[in-house]
Amino acid sequence: MLAYYLRLALKSFRRNPGITALMVLAIALGIAVCVMTLTVYHAMSGNPIWWKSDRLYAVTMDNWDPNHPLNPKSDLPPPEMTYKDSQFLLTSNIPVRKVVMYSTEGVVSGVSSEPPTQLATRVTTADFFAMFEVRFLYGNGWSASADNPPQPHIVLSRRENDRLFAGVNSVGRTLRWNDHEFRVVGVLDDWFPRPRYYDLNGGHFQEPDDAYIPYGWGPELELQNRAESDCWRPEKLENFRDFLASDCVWQQMWVELPDAASRARFQAFMDAYWAEQRSAGRFLRPKNNRLSTVAQWLHDNEVVANDNRVLVGLAFAFLALCLINTVGLLLARFLNGAAVSGIRRALGASRGQIFAQLLIEVALVALLGALLGLILAALGLAAVHHMYAAAHLGRRGGYQELAHFDASGILWAVGLALTATLAAGFYPAWRIGRLSPAVYLKSQ
Amino acid sequence: MSLNIRPVLAAMLRNRTGAVLVAMQVAIALAVLVNAAYIIVQRLEKVHRPTGIDEQNIMVIESAGFTGRFHQTSSVREDLAYLRGLPGVIAATATNSIPLSNGGNNDSLVTRPDARRTGYINDMEIDEQGLDALGAKLVAGRNFRHEEIQPALTKDDISSFVPQIIVSRALADYLFPNQSPLGKQVYDAINHSATIIGVVDPIMGNFPGSDHPERIFFLPRMPDEFIVVRYLVRTLPGQRNALMRVVESQLAASNPERVINYVRPLSYFKNLSYLGDSSMEIYLLTVTGLVIAVTCLGIFALATFNVSTRTRQIGTRRAVGARRRDIVSYFLVENGLITSAGVLGGCALALAAGYWLSLRYALPRLNLYYLLGGVLVLWGIGQLAAWQPARRAAAVPPSVATRTV
Repeated sequence: MLAYYLRLALKSFRRNPGITALMVLAIALGIAVCVMTLTVYHAMSGNPIWWKSDRLYAVTMDNWDPNHPLNPKSDLPPPEMTYKDSQFLLTSNIPVRKVVMYSTEGVVSGVSSEPPTQLATRVTTADFFAMFEVRFLYGNGWSASADNPPQPHIVLSRRENDRLFAGVNSVGRTLRWNDHEFRVVGVLDDWFPRPRYYDLNGGHFQEPDDAYIPYGWGPELELQNRAESDCWRPEKLENFRDFLASDCVWQQMWVELPDAASRARFQAFMDAYWAEQRSAGRFLRPKNNRLSTVAQWLHDNEVVANDNRVLVGLAFAFLALCLINTVGLLLARFLNGAAVSGIRRALGASRGQIFAQLLIEVALVALLGALLGLILAALGLAAVHHMYAAAHLGRRGGYQELAHFDASGILWAVGLALTATLAAGFYPAWRIGRLSPAVYLKSQ
Repeated sequence: MSLNIRPVLAAMLRNRTGAVLVAMQVAIALAVLVNAAYIIVQRLEKVHRPTGIDEQNIMVIESAGFTGRFHQTSSVREDLAYLRGLPGVIAATATNSIPLSNGGNNDSLVTRPDARRTGYINDMEIDEQGLDALGAKLVAGRNFRHEEIQPALTKDDISSFVPQIIVSRALADYLFPNQSPLGKQVYDAINHSATIIGVVDPIMGNFPGSDHPERIFFLPRMPDEFIVVRYLVRTLPGQRNALMRVVESQLAASNPERVINYVRPLSYFKNLSYLGDSSMEIYLLTVTGLVIAVTCLGIFALATFNVSTRTRQIGTRRAVGARRRDIVSYFLVENGLITSAGVLGGCALALAAGYWLSLRYALPRLNLYYLLGGVLVLWGIGQLAAWQPARRAAAVPPSVATRTV
């Protein structure tokens, strides 16, 4: 039966190639626009550590100017912490893992003939790798005791290891970082969480850093923060020690708290510290000590841009337009062929059979539309990727990381096309199936 | 030509579905068209705000010293002497930050030491060639003199200020409304004072993404020693790219105590800052184009279908005396009625969508001129799309009425 209906459908396509092509094209365009937009939206709204999202917490405290908040448009505390507050919270042993970190720049040299190159370098406590589940290709991170006093250990990204050491196991080799000797203790495997949830500074989809060194090097070498530092208090900062003691925020802090009880205890620990500092004249704003899960953190930092929400709405409006268009075309097509249906009814086909046959025809159109839509969407995404990559001069990071076609996109497209078009074809097929055969036989 | 609407309406009401479907398409198309056009125009305005900077002829060089032997002040002196000596270079300056890049410094700046501090203002370190290197226009006062350029901030002196500053016109108007800012004193975050000696206009600072990108002041100072140094080099028109290659190879080899991170056109940084806006523009333009195309297709298909199912009736009308243009006008009127119904619904839809966008995404409320424009556009394309089927209908010969049965 199915084969017969398919044959009928193909016959009908051949009878009206123009209108069939138009229907396929309308569906394809609607699908392509939707799939493109949803692919980018999906990538943007991803939570790259979802399995651990409610155990990892970004730590923030509002130490800002009593007269006005850092960001007048929100009630969030500053996204970073002061050095002194982070150092105190670091003394707690409630979290199973805790990370304080920031990003700096260092020039790597002293490796064979490679020219000196400046690398984005993360100055972090030892738990970084275990906490954010970074896999190692060679070696490991450093132990917590290497943080202070700082040991000359360095971890490289896979790409840097490829460039500097031609991809071989470089653990134990030495290099110069800002002209100080460091020993490679580990090489990361490919790792590119999108968005880069643990540090959203300077764009949400930036690449992870290329080098990692123990936290104690920060004060030891007076390493500057290359991302955002914000100060509000009019205090005289003569030197780096003053900066460390200041109310400037620039330290990123994360803790891993395995259950509600430990979360509550750490919150209480923060609140007690806050109260004590407040009585000493700091923290003059209302109490706002936050532990934000990864999901909450991504939401608060508006990782999904408003523009993309508007575009998703627009894409669905366009799909609706294309589908209404298809309904119109199908109706016209089926009415044109109503006489044939009338004859089939007169020869004994039931309403249900006519309906099923017409729906098969619709499904075929939908499949063709989905296929073409997928091709168009892939081309469109490639164009978007190309545009972004060109603007970045081909370097990784930024929005081009979002314009990738993935398996879920293909499933989306086919599912969307089939449900949408079948829904669209339902009414025309039902209407034709209901026609009394006599009317059409008479008019012949 | 008689525009007799009654029979057109009567025929339409007997077969509503097609007309309703097309009216729905017109309504959605109008809502999308109007709101998309409004967003596109806003983004275009944003991207094309005057920057006061000679964007097309400036290169940015980033140099990072990394050894204990690196001496920043002498390195900057050597680099600037080299850059300024190149034929084709108009001016070069050392600076701490890159214009239009959405990265840089802010400081608090007030007109009285005890004033309430409400926000931060973009600042940028340049030397006496800085304004020339930007291509910025001084509209009042004077430029920095060579001897006024202060030594760089060092790790042991990170909060000094400068005796003189140059401000943008927008910042002057903000600090001293309706007064000449020249000679006025201003105070930084820790109440160091400086005198305003010049005003630049127009000029955009480092943060095109901020609420007030045009509020900026310039400090006559060498770039901070603990931060990488950037050079802005302005060239004669058309010579930038060639000079970039020369500069990159020369500077990379000139001093082993530092690395040249990059030599890039300033337009690169501006493009990145506006990437979101420009891709939104392209996307909206594409989808709007498709919306119009698909709507045309829908109108065309309905008109064609109506013509083909009414061939005999058309023949009959022609046989009893209707002229070709009566037939054409019949179909155009029919189309006009459908489009009008759609446009009516579309206005409501467009306003609702516009209101929702302004509420949810803080976009400005929809301008009604856009709605009017959208209505005219849809009427126009409706008539255009129905034109060819209407002509085909008019070509039906009167004899058709007698032929079939």
